[in-house]
Formats: sequence, C-alpha cells, structure tokens
Amino acid sequence: MARSALRRLMAEYKQLTLNPPEGIIAGPVCEENFFEWEALIMGPEGTCFEGGVFPAKLIFPPDYPLSPPKMQFTCEMFHPNIYPDGRVCISILHAPGEDPMGYESSAERWSPVQSVEKILLSVISMLAEPNDESGANVDAAKMWREDREQFNKITDRLVRKSLGLAPA
Amino acid sequence: MPAVFLDRLPLPSLQAYTAVSVLLLSCSVYYAVQITSDPEWKLNATLEFENNEGAKNQTIENRRELSFDEVLLENKIFRRLLEIVIFMIQEPLCIWTLINMAYCCLILVGKFIQKLVFGELRVSEQQHIKDKFWNFVFYKFIFIFGVMNVQFMDEVVLWCGWFSVLGFLHLLSQLCKDRFEYLSLSPMTSRWTHVRLLALLSVILISSSSLFVLCVFVGLQAGLNTFAFMVAECALVTVRTLYIIARYFIHLWDINHEGVWEKRTTYVYYSELTFELTALVVDFIHHLHMLLWGNIFLSMASLVICMQLRYLFHEIRHRLKKHKNYLRVVRHMESNYPMTSLEEMENNSENCAICWDYMESARKLPCGHFFHNSCLRSWLEQDSSCPTCRMSLAVHGDGSGGTPTGDDNHNNLLGALGRQEGEPTHTGNQTTNHFFHFDGSRYVSWFPSFSVEVTHTNLLGNRQLPAVQTSQLDNMARQVQQMFPHMPLNLIMEDLRSTHAVELTIENILDERLVSHPSPMFQANTTHTAISTQDSSQDNYTTQPIATNERESDQRESSASTSDWKFFEDTVFSLDEDTSESSSEDNGGLTRALSSMGHGCRFSKSPQERESMLAHRKEELFKAAKRKYLATSGSRTAELASDPEPSTSYSSSSVYDEMNIFQDPSNSRGDGQWYSIPEHHAPEHVTER
Repeated sequence: MARSALRRLMAEYKQLTLNPPEGIIAGPVCEENFFEWEALIMGPEGTCFEGGVFPAKLIFPPDYPLSPPKMQFTCEMFHPNIYPDGRVCISILHAPGEDPMGYESSAERWSPVQSVEKILLSVISMLAEPNDESGANVDAAKMWREDREQFNKITDRLVRKSLGLAPA
Repeated sequence: MPAVFLDRLPLPSLQAYTAVSVLLLSCSVYYAVQITSDPEWKLNATLEFENNEGAKNQTIENRRELSFDEVLLENKIFRRLLEIVIFMIQEPLCIWTLINMAYCCLILVGKFIQKLVFGELRVSEQQHIKDKFWNFVFYKFIFIFGVMNVQFMDEVVLWCGWFSVLGFLHLLSQLCKDRFEYLSLSPMTSRWTHVRLLALLSVILISSSSLFVLCVFVGLQAGLNTFAFMVAECALVTVRTLYIIARYFIHLWDINHEGVWEKRTTYVYYSELTFELTALVVDFIHHLHMLLWGNIFLSMASLVICMQLRYLFHEIRHRLKKHKNYLRVVRHMESNYPMTSLEEMENNSENCAICWDYMESARKLPCGHFFHNSCLRSWLEQDSSCPTCRMSLAVHGDGSGGTPTGDDNHNNLLGALGRQEGEPTHTGNQTTNHFFHFDGSRYVSWFPSFSVEVTHTNLLGNRQLPAVQTSQLDNMARQVQQMFPHMPLNLIMEDLRSTHAVELTIENILDERLVSHPSPMFQANTTHTAISTQDSSQDNYTTQPIATNERESDQRESSASTSDWKFFEDTVFSLDEDTSESSSEDNGGLTRALSSMGHGCRFSKSPQERESMLAHRKEELFKAAKRKYLATSGSRTAELASDPEPSTSYSSSSVYDEMNIFQDPSNSRGDGQWYSIPEHHAPEHVTER
C-alpha cells in the first residue's frame, strides 16, 4: 500500500516542484519520511490575509490517495474554518464515509483524484472566502460576520507575525 | 491501564543495573568458592545432590555432565569449577543472583541488537514497545498466577524464564514491524538496512522454531495442556514474524520491479488475510483454552480473559466482514465494469487518476472513466462512486439504496454517452475525463476558477442540464490544454466558445493565431517577481538584458510542458535523466536565475538536493513576501486607518536581521551555488527601502 502511495506522492512532489502554482510551495521536509510534508501558503491578494506566508503541515495516511491527508497550520491562525489548533476544516479533506458536520454532500468530499495542489488551492480560496456556516473557530466566525474591522486587525497582526515582523 | 502506572516507576540506568548484577554475581561466586573449599561440605555435597529433585532440566543436565566428566576427565580444576556451579544451583541466594544475571544479559543482548539493527529508536517505536511490554507482563502474570495457579517457586521461575524469552522475541518482532512500516514510507533506504532487518527477522524465526522444539520436549513430560499453552505462544510469534517477512519480501520485490504490478495487491491482500486471521484464531483458541482449562470461572483472571476473548472475537468478525466486502467488490467489478480493449487503451493517453501511473490495462466505469483494476477495487471497498465524476455506482446498495440510484445511474450513463458522442474523435484521447486535470487550475488565478470546479462536480451529481454544457466546454478545454499545457485555460475556453470544436482550436494554436499573450491572470503566474515585487525585479535583473527575461519564461514554459509529457512515461524512480534536468544543466545560469525567483525549476534526483532546494525555495518565498509586504505597507497603513504606526519605521538593519531567521542551515552544505544570487541582492534591496 505504502508503495503506491509513495509513488503517487513522489509524482505530486515532482509536479509541484516543476510547475508550482502561484503562492504555494510544498514538499516533504525530510525525505526519510515522505508522508509528512510542509507547505507554505501565501495569503491571497485582495483579502485580509494578503502578504502573509503561512506554514502548514500535511500528514498523509499510508493508503493515500484513498484517504485524505490531514492538514494543520503550524502558525497562529484566526479564521472561521480553521480550528484554534490549526487544523483545517474543508470538505475535500473529509473522507467520503464520514460526515462530521452533517451537511456536506459526498460529492464535495475527498476522492483520490484530488491532490495536494487542489487541497492547497482550495485552502487559499477558503482563506479568501470563509464559510461562516461551518464554525471550526466560532469566535472567528462571529467576528467575521459582525466586526470585520476587528477581524482584519487580527489577521494583519498574523500576517506580520508570519513574516517575522514585530507587530505594528 | 497498568502501563501508565508502571511507567512512572523509577528504574535504574542500564549501566548501574549491569554493574550491580555483576557485583552480585561475583559476590555469590566468591561465597561459593569459600564454601566449597570447606572439606566438610564436600562430604555432604554428593548426598544433597542425589536428593535434589528440584529444577528438573538443569539438574538432569548437570548430572549428565558430572558422569561424563567423572568418566573422561579427572581434571582437578574442572572438578572444582563444577562443584562451585553445583553449589550455586543449590543455594537459593546464588540462584537469584544467577537469574538476575541472566536477565541482565538478556537486556544487554536486546540493547546490542537495537544498536546494531535499529540504531536510535523513534518515539512511536519506543511507545509501542513500552505498551507491548507492560501488556505482556500483565497478561503473563495473570496466566501464571491466575490460570496455571502455580504453587512452587521453581515452577514460577521456569515459567518466568520461558515467558521472558518469548516476550523478548515478541518485542523484537514488534520492533521489526514498526521499523519495516517506517522504512516503507521512505523512497530511499540503503540495502544494508534491509539486510540487517531481514537477518534479525530470520533470527527471530529460527529462535521461535527452536522454542517450538523445546515445547515438544517439555510437553512430553508435563502433559498436553502445558504443551498447548506453550505452543500457542510460540505459534503466535512465528506467525507474526512470518507475516512481516512476507510483507517485506513483497515490498522489496516491488521496489526493485519497475512499472505497475497488477497482481500485487491481490497477493498482498491474501497474505495479509491469511496471516492476520491465523494469528487471531490461534490467539482466540489459546484464550478459550485458558478459560476452560483451569477452574477459574469465578475469578478475576476469568474476567480479564473474557474481555480479551471478546476483543479477539470482534477482531475476527471485523476481518471477515472486510473480506466479504472485498469479495463483493471484486465480483461487482468483474460483472459490471469490463476490462478495456487494447485499442481503447491505445487511444487513452490518460494515466490512472488514483495512482497517477501509466495504465497498461484498465477497467472502465459506465461514466467512461478508466482506472487500474487494483486502484479501483481498493477505492470501491470504501466508497461507491466514481472517483472522478462522483457518479454513484451502487456497489453496496445493489441499486436499492434509499435514493433513486438506479435512475441516477441511468441518467448519468446517458449523459456520459451523450458527452462522448458530442466530442470530436480527432484528438486521440476519447475519455470524458472532464474533472481530471493536473495543470489546469494553476494557470488560473486562485479563487474564482477553483470554486467553479468544485461546484462543477456538484452540479454533475445533481444532473442539471446547464452543467453538462459547461462541463463539455470545460472538458474540451482541458483536452486542448493537455496538449498545450502552457496555454492558459481561460484563453482556450474563449476560443472554444467561438470555434465549438477541439480541432479548430488546436489548429488555431498551432498556427499561432491563438497566442498565449499574457492575460492578466496568466502574467501573474509566469513572471513571478512581477506580482511579488515590482521594484525588486528591477533591482535583481537590471543587469540581464530584457531579451533574456523573455527567453527565461519561454524556457520555463517549454521545459514545463515537455517534462509534463515525459513525466508519466518515466517511472518516478527511474534513473535516466529527464529533459528538464538536462536542459537545466545546459544553461545553468538561466535555471539558477529561475530558481532564484523562488519558482519551480527542476526536480533533482538526489534527495538531499531536493530537500535543500525545497528549503531554499521556501526561504525565497518568505523573502519575497516580506519585501512585498514592506513595499506595500506604506500604502496599507494609509488604507487601514486603524493601524497606528507606519511600519516603515523599522530600521533596515533590523529587517536584515529578521531575514536571517529564514536562512536554512542547509546553506552550509556546500551547494551554495544555488543561493548566490538572492543572498547578495536581498539585503541591498532592503537597505534601499
């Protein structure tokens, strides 16, 4: 099992290296374990995350791509669809069988034709357009709905922090 | 859990323990020497020796030795030594020191094997070993005192000895399993590591077989029940070890075997099934035997054993259920999804969407998607829809699931057929693989395009007519784009909207009527620095003529496209150089400039280089992002009235210091050529700010 997963991951890594999508870098940090990647995601332009570079960890199961990887931001994040511990809550990362929130149709969930690239792109689009119905971080969802200015302030601080700059 | 509690016991370090053991042993030897040199003892010794009927095995052996020696050797020193040994075996205190020494040796041997074969243990391995160890101790304690109800000290000692050896082998095989699983996650493992691990596995196998022989000997004397108890444990170790060895060989064969091995998963599956089931059944019978044999129905031990039995029963049932599911999926696939014909395969240039490998043979779903037989099977075991288009396949419900799947299915089938008919047959890839694309979305800037894609699958599932329309166009565009990966998707789409045919669009592209002139979105992708830092690109590249800049992006595109084509023909691990690499070596300067842009460049064959290049690219991204942030922060602060302090107030030196945070230690590895350009420029640029 692990063998085909390894081949597939190697193929994805190669593709992401040769043709990286804008604002995304991903790959295994230490190739001794090819099933643990680190990704850097640039905050999408025109949003409150613009300019930030956010590191995240991707952990692949041994039966990848049959099961989805787990993704977790390793920096501080404040977003309606990101749990306070950094785990990302988007539908394509959920295995087709389970339905933790009870509202996703199986069409939106994981399928082996998805890839790291698609995951990261949809995370970027999630950063740009939070879905405040699925509240992974209820505080953030509430603030996003009600007090956008305060939300922007917090994300601006996060952007600065992600770049290693002192808070403004 | 006993493990948690026992874990906190303060244990002495191995050195201290060894030292104490050796000291105790020498003390007892000294004591034995002192006593045996006493002439009075010698008179009693033979008498005592004859009477002693305790620890059977050892005494029998010793007796044989003694007679052997008396006949053959009248050596004085040897006799003396023998006396000491006999004395030590008879004297309780000395026996304890001997036993202690034996355990110490066992631990040292274990430590030695660990150093030799495994090196440093990983955290999860340590945790597994600890859990397993305390579990083993716990259950064996219950076995000895609860089930066997041992009364005499020497029996306890013998059982303990037996289980210690057994537990030792158990732990080693567990360790081997963990390590093997870890090694199979890594693309490069040295041959030597495999050899050592396999050697250890065979040693475990041999020792467990010799233990089996011991079982037979003991069983002849102690009766059938004891024999059964001992054999069960032996068999468990043997089966587990054999399982690991079998998996290992399959893995090794697979790694050294190029291409896709269709039958592999079947072998793996059945070997897994047999070994797992055998181990479970043996364990189950063993526990059942324990429960029924001793009169322990009303004791704590029976409770523990019942719990274990329940767990094993569930495991067996679960395994059988999984197997049934497997068989059903296989049957379903064989009856419903035909293997593709040869010409279909020739026309199909796609790879399997699940494993991304080349397909020599495939199964075809009713929606027209191809997959490897084994890939499709493992997916259908857990889900019943087409991975690509999510069409429901009704593997599990047999069409009678609550939703009208049959109807849906039919509709989808019609839709798929319609799509196939509507497609021009020219292009050579007839698949209606409209959702499967690797490189499409990256040419489209982030959000709008991508969300279109997700809803696209959604709509297809709901069978709305407009969706088919767009998906047809989408599909055609992707077909074109697969031939011309450098063309932006939206451009192709636009052209398709006017031509309505793939051939015409292809002709347009070939005649260069459709030039990939940088549409705003596309530009953002190819010239990376343009969006990230407008001014820094001037800074960095003013020395290069503008023509080079253009050639650069051309080069990048062409190498990208060729490598895309080549990529799937190459097996990933093949050793021949691929085009992108050789081209990058031809004009190293260009690619270096490219890599300095933090953008994709080449995919090295050496893992170390890949790692350092990845680290370098990350660092570059950080630098670029920071430059850009600082550049725009002035205008930002004006926009965000809430921001109290303009961030330009940072001194350039502090910024420079912060930048060093991201410099990776891999820089010092010696392949510094990749880093030369950006490192010189970035600080200058910042100071200018």
